[in-house]
Amino acid sequence: MIVLVLAQVLVCNRIMLFGVAVAFVFIYVVVSLPMKLKTDWLLTWAFVSGLLVDVFVDTPGVNALSCTLLAMMKKPVLYAYIPRDDHTKNVVPSLSTLGFAVYAKYLLTMSALYCVMVFTIEYFSFVSVKEIVTMSAASAVLTFLILLAIDSLIISRREKRL
Amino acid sequence: MNNLLNFILKYSKWFVFTIYVLISIVLLVVSNNYQQSIYMTSANAVTGSVYSGWSSVTGYFHLHSINESLQHRNAMLQNEVLNLQSQLRELRAAAGDSIPTPTVERFDYIAAGVINNNTRHPKNFFTINKGMNDGVRTGMGVVDQNGVVGIVNVAGRHMARVISLLNETQHFSVKIKDTSFVGSLSWKGRNPEIGYVEEIPRHARYSPGDTIVTSGYSTAFPEGIPVGVILNRVHSRDDSFFTFKVKLTSDFRTINSVRVIRDIYKNEIDSLAAFDVVTSEDK
Repeated sequence: MIVLVLAQVLVCNRIMLFGVAVAFVFIYVVVSLPMKLKTDWLLTWAFVSGLLVDVFVDTPGVNALSCTLLAMMKKPVLYAYIPRDDHTKNVVPSLSTLGFAVYAKYLLTMSALYCVMVFTIEYFSFVSVKEIVTMSAASAVLTFLILLAIDSLIISRREKRL
Repeated sequence: MNNLLNFILKYSKWFVFTIYVLISIVLLVVSNNYQQSIYMTSANAVTGSVYSGWSSVTGYFHLHSINESLQHRNAMLQNEVLNLQSQLRELRAAAGDSIPTPTVERFDYIAAGVINNNTRHPKNFFTINKGMNDGVRTGMGVVDQNGVVGIVNVAGRHMARVISLLNETQHFSVKIKDTSFVGSLSWKGRNPEIGYVEEIPRHARYSPGDTIVTSGYSTAFPEGIPVGVILNRVHSRDDSFFTFKVKLTSDFRTINSVRVIRDIYKNEIDSLAAFDVVTSEDK
């Protein structure tokens, strides 16, 4: 988590691609925590990592709120794509466990939700709705691609070890 | 009692969720620019040291452009020195004597490095590596080699957070250079190169390309520090005032070394203002 938060505040937050797209890599914490983790703990991890980013970037509350909301939506989002049964109850969301199609859908939904929330909370009343939509869409795609890359890198390392 | 505990345990996630959401919303709402503890900002001990470590690496990135603008500024200052020297020589010759008039330097400067900088948010801040121990205090003005960049917001012992000029909540008192037409400069969004000057009286004479400078009406900035250049007049909400679109002189994406302005009369002026308040309350 620390690594992701640092990557977020030191690198990703400073880059706004084409003036619209920001990658939120630290939501990988929320996205990839195992499903069997109690929701209380998931919420706590989400809130703390969001708050850390906020303190670094001087946006008090923005990421903490979005991240907490995202954590709450995690279960409904994942089980919208796969049936909820004994087999999937304890799954750890990643490329290797869910397969590309399901994981991509899940990841894209989570990224999109997060970007919409962040930009709406922070930029509301500052820029037009159209701009918020553009920024959210562009950032969601960028976040999705980078998180997909991070996840596949982590898998290949895991496999090497085996 | 047991039932209550069971109830809480059963729905614990909703309780936890509500608590976190409430904390976040409180943070969002009370993040007033002026009353803030140092712990929740990028100038606290931990974030400060992370940023200063990181900036010792990334500080090299923009050296080329910074060097260029410094050289430009240096040349300008050199010209001015020569100019003033020749004027001084003429005046000395004309005056005939050389009794020096005692002058007191009202402002002095604390040099600082920028260790964290943002330009993409509606409320941008940056962090500098000087704090209370170096004499930096809340409310002091900050400039770089090109002009005004911000005002100190909170000062920690070794770090301080500065409200960038690129912050929608911050206004600066400015005027058109060599005139007394005073207005208020603010930043309205997205483009880190453009600001707006409002409330310039309608009878002001101006032409695009005129320089906007600080008015000197606050203790944060001395008079005459460049802020921007007028691009054009834009539609204003109030018909009795002009609004100008202004190209800012500082490049906020590359600010790297800045100076904090200390006004040695600040306490005196502030206590006078406080005295004023007290006496008017007495009445």
